[in-house]
Amino acid sequence: MERANLLGICCNWSPWACYNAAGMARLKMPPNLRVIRVMCIGRINQALILHAFEHGADGVILLECQDEDCRYGPGPEVGHTNVEKVRKLLHLLGIGQKRLVEKSFAAHEKQELVDALWEFAGQIKAMGTNPAKPRQEREAS
Amino acid sequence: MTNDDARIDRIIRDCSLYQCLECGKCSASCPRLLTGKEYSPRLLAHKLISERGDEAFIENSVWECLTCGLCEERCPSGVEFSRAIVEMRTLLASKKGMKGYRAHDGALHSWMRMMTSPKLEQNRLDWVGPEIKVAEKGPLAFFTGCAPYFQVFFSGIEVDTLSIARDSIRLLNFLDIVPVLIKEERCCGHDLLYTGDRENFELLCRLNYEEFKAAGVTEVVTSCPECFLVLDQYMPEVIPGYDLKTTLLIDLLEREMKKGGKAFKPLSTRATYQDPCRLGRYSGRYEGPRNLINMVPDLAFVEMENSGRSAICCGNNAFINCDAYSKRIQVERLKQARATGADLLITACPKCMIHLTCAMRDPLKSGKISMAIRDLVSVLAEQIEWKG
Repeated sequence: MERANLLGICCNWSPWACYNAAGMARLKMPPNLRVIRVMCIGRINQALILHAFEHGADGVILLECQDEDCRYGPGPEVGHTNVEKVRKLLHLLGIGQKRLVEKSFAAHEKQELVDALWEFAGQIKAMGTNPAKPRQEREAS
Repeated sequence: MTNDDARIDRIIRDCSLYQCLECGKCSASCPRLLTGKEYSPRLLAHKLISERGDEAFIENSVWECLTCGLCEERCPSGVEFSRAIVEMRTLLASKKGMKGYRAHDGALHSWMRMMTSPKLEQNRLDWVGPEIKVAEKGPLAFFTGCAPYFQVFFSGIEVDTLSIARDSIRLLNFLDIVPVLIKEERCCGHDLLYTGDRENFELLCRLNYEEFKAAGVTEVVTSCPECFLVLDQYMPEVIPGYDLKTTLLIDLLEREMKKGGKAFKPLSTRATYQDPCRLGRYSGRYEGPRNLINMVPDLAFVEMENSGRSAICCGNNAFINCDAYSKRIQVERLKQARATGADLLITACPKCMIHLTCAMRDPLKSGKISMAIRDLVSVLAEQIEWKG
């Protein structure tokens, strides 16, 4: 496997603050990670996570606030339910439940966030390519 | 749309749209229009033939149809409207990347497309327990389709689609048939076909055919009418030299019951039956399910106001177009079911079960429309016994 396609979906509040602070502190982050900022992880539904895998992501990490910190209320709980269901679907498809990771952070935990991202990158690298990559990408590689 | 004129001309010719008399019976019977949606099959046919410049209208209308086939049933000229819709969707999807308004944000279509990957090693048979006997190789396979996936995805509305698969195999076991369950079976591709994704649909067909061949299967039994439609009518179009026999479980069961030696235990209830469009209007199975229901002693069978050929759709197809109008269709249908005085609504398609159960959960209306709903196969598997 040459280079894993990693996708981070990051909540605008605590995790984004961590991500920003980590960037300001020039902490090294996995170069093959693409981050999408959303207002709340509760905005992400099962379909959006599945689409990421359908379009060739090897791993997806949801970066969310801690349950009690959500600026809107139920965001992280929605995230937990979605992750639980999508993991079951990933298991059925044989893609692997562990390709979907969920981590929560308080606003000051920049080091924890960077560590979590590296751990995620290592874990996906060990798992290899997503077997459900789209046909175009399979043919290219 | 001018570049596609030749293709649209062909669709119009192939599906007999020129035969349209503009009588409007299609629109007058369309459940979508009757529940208030601004959609008219007659007008769409007219625009396709003579006002092709109205792209906005055509592109909207093509995705509105439920493909339930009620308009075709009413059409005096034999216009193949649903087929025209599928062909138009295939054209618009390939040319413009259109997908329609997908329910659940397209999560279901997403996993169906992922299944086109040949390298997949699925875990779709985790639900198989010691209570059912299945084989890995043999002449007869049972096609589970998306049941294990629906079980997870629709767990929130408490629809047990896997129980249909389990009960189907219990019935086959009862008849001394040990079916093959294929580990790497894919979705039949029905929903991709009806949302215009012909390319991935054909990939799924080929993968399924390879899996059947590898397991030495010559006959495929299915209980889902959509899987039956695809395996029986579409797969031979896609695969040259297609040589598998497709059997509907209820057909097989009806044949076996006629041989004698088996009977159903009495079930004292009053029940009505929802004709799935793929089973009734598409495959002509109106009598079979009713014969089987009537074989159960003590079961009082009552028809809904619209039944058989004029049955009303469960409100959705191929997981697109789930909106307020679908909901109205479902509520109307459930009101009809309740008006029969039945305690049990029997259906024969997992999708009807999913859509109608979802509508029943409406917090404001549920008192008026909710009722017990079960698949025909589950009812029969519970009641069957040896006689004599």
